[in-house]
Amino acid sequence: MDPLLLAGILAAGIRLGMAIGLSAIGESAAERSGVFNIGIEGVMLSAAFVAAWGSVRTGSPWLGIAFAMLIGLLLAAFHALMVLVLGVNQFISGIGMVIFGLGFSSFAARLTIGAKPTSVPGLPPIDLGPLSHFPVIGPIFFGQSPLAYIALALAVATGWVINRTALGLEIRACGESVEVAHALAIPVKARQTACILFGGITAGLGGAYLSVVQVHAFVEGMVAGRGFLAVACVMLGRKRPLIAFLASLGFGLAEATQIRLQTLYPGLPYQFLVILPYLAAIVALVIGHRNVARAA
Amino acid sequence: MIPVRVVRLSLVLGFAALVPSLFVLVAGQSPWRVLTTLVLYAFGPQGRSEVLLHAIPLTLIGLGVAFALRAGLFNIGGDGQLVAGAIVAVFFAPYFAGWGIAGLIAFLIFGFVGGAALGAFVGYLRERFNASEIIVTIMLNYVAVQMVSYLIRGPIADPMPFWPRSYPIPPDCVLPVIVSGTRLHAGLIVALVMVIVFAVVQRQTVLGFQSSVFGANPGAATYAGFRVKALTIVVMAISGGLGGLAGAVEVGGVYQRIVENMGEGFGLAAIAVALIARLEPVAIPFAACLFGIFFAGAGALQRELALPFPLVWIVEATVIFMVSALHWALPSRTAEA
Repeated sequence: MDPLLLAGILAAGIRLGMAIGLSAIGESAAERSGVFNIGIEGVMLSAAFVAAWGSVRTGSPWLGIAFAMLIGLLLAAFHALMVLVLGVNQFISGIGMVIFGLGFSSFAARLTIGAKPTSVPGLPPIDLGPLSHFPVIGPIFFGQSPLAYIALALAVATGWVINRTALGLEIRACGESVEVAHALAIPVKARQTACILFGGITAGLGGAYLSVVQVHAFVEGMVAGRGFLAVACVMLGRKRPLIAFLASLGFGLAEATQIRLQTLYPGLPYQFLVILPYLAAIVALVIGHRNVARAA
Repeated sequence: MIPVRVVRLSLVLGFAALVPSLFVLVAGQSPWRVLTTLVLYAFGPQGRSEVLLHAIPLTLIGLGVAFALRAGLFNIGGDGQLVAGAIVAVFFAPYFAGWGIAGLIAFLIFGFVGGAALGAFVGYLRERFNASEIIVTIMLNYVAVQMVSYLIRGPIADPMPFWPRSYPIPPDCVLPVIVSGTRLHAGLIVALVMVIVFAVVQRQTVLGFQSSVFGANPGAATYAGFRVKALTIVVMAISGGLGGLAGAVEVGGVYQRIVENMGEGFGLAAIAVALIARLEPVAIPFAACLFGIFFAGAGALQRELALPFPLVWIVEATVIFMVSALHWALPSRTAEA
């Protein structure tokens, strides 16, 4: 295969997987602490809209991203309230969040920036001069969006906190056994709340990435299952942030490959290619299980 | 002293009233006018039948969601199963031409089978590979949408395509209109029959009993010697089958063919329907009518008050949060969902 083509797909794969990856980082932390948020999809949708709206209004993509993190935080706080204080089933609260995100983002978009895609002031990729233009590896490693490098750092840092620090040990204890955590006088709900909120912030970043970095517009329903793919990645990575993050890039790669295949084989019905990442998620869940079984 | 339950209940109900109202206010409309517009439309001569029309698929899918949730399984794949049922039913429909009423029944059964096959697949992945049925059903929704998009432009396309849609089904497979001058069709009867069937299945059969036990306590179900693995597949198949039946009913009663984005959003709304009904089959048609009002009324809101349709989803989400928070407000009620 042509190395340039391969490099192009790799660079695009990282770009397309980043929104999933960002969300997967925080969701790993939340699930590690014992609380699922399958409402990530709704948080991402809301954040994608808020980020687009914020950058159109202020002219600054960074402010838009900050707004998106804020809405992510708010929605996650609501999920924490429902699950930890009111004792609502976490999956049901999550489904509510998905539907809310769908409604909020589309409703607000139609009233403000319009249902038709409006151009959003976006975040350009970094340019390190010759390094970014270096053949093959330049665009892959040195030509991504600033958010991509933040994401990688965040994935590593989150993994480090969870696996190597006393706080991480407490978080893991909450997820493994609430009784033991209580016995050790760990403030279980406080730790879980913190992890859910962190998950909301990264999902906010993920949504913002989609509208402000990747597409430079808000389109209704633009998250298109990426929130659920993030949850699938966390399952695949068995709640380890870095692995979940890398798995997300795998889905990005699947997406990049299918887009490239569409142009390479225009005769093939594109619908069969569009479904590849979704089918990949199902296959990955099945294979992921077999690895668990072997390890056990 | 005001009792805690009263305080909590007012908090929950207040929240439920506040959230949609806020969005309506931000959009520059009065929540009161929204409410009156909805009620006037829903109980008006034209609105009544439209509300029931939307309640038909919501009842069918809602029954399926509730049946799975009783067994502790989340079926979020209503949209995909609806489409799968519609595809299978429409694919075989031409063979039923001239069969009369038998053709209609066969058409509906094939719809059920299409959705059931998809549901069984999900159940199989769940019991064999422990693959989350939530993720798998959602992923299959996206796959199903693309498959429809492909099929109605290719293999089952209308021979005279003005826009992408499938060929029409033979007249034998059409569910007749039951109230002249409206779109309300015999699918209403199908839905009500299913409500009765599932009320019986839930209360009177071994399957209903075993799935409830399994949902309440999987360990106990295994210990009691239930065939838990088969149960997962059967429950998901039936749940998916109801989604598929909804697909066939939508085709047979409303469109007479497969159209793009058919029934989109019913799967998610059906989850809210099942939760409001507290998974009780007999209560599901009433919950479905409530959402029928939202769906049918959304058109009126858009026309008369220029409120965008996605307001329905905001209301839907609010209702889900409200109903699930009722356990907290009224703790003595038995917690099922």
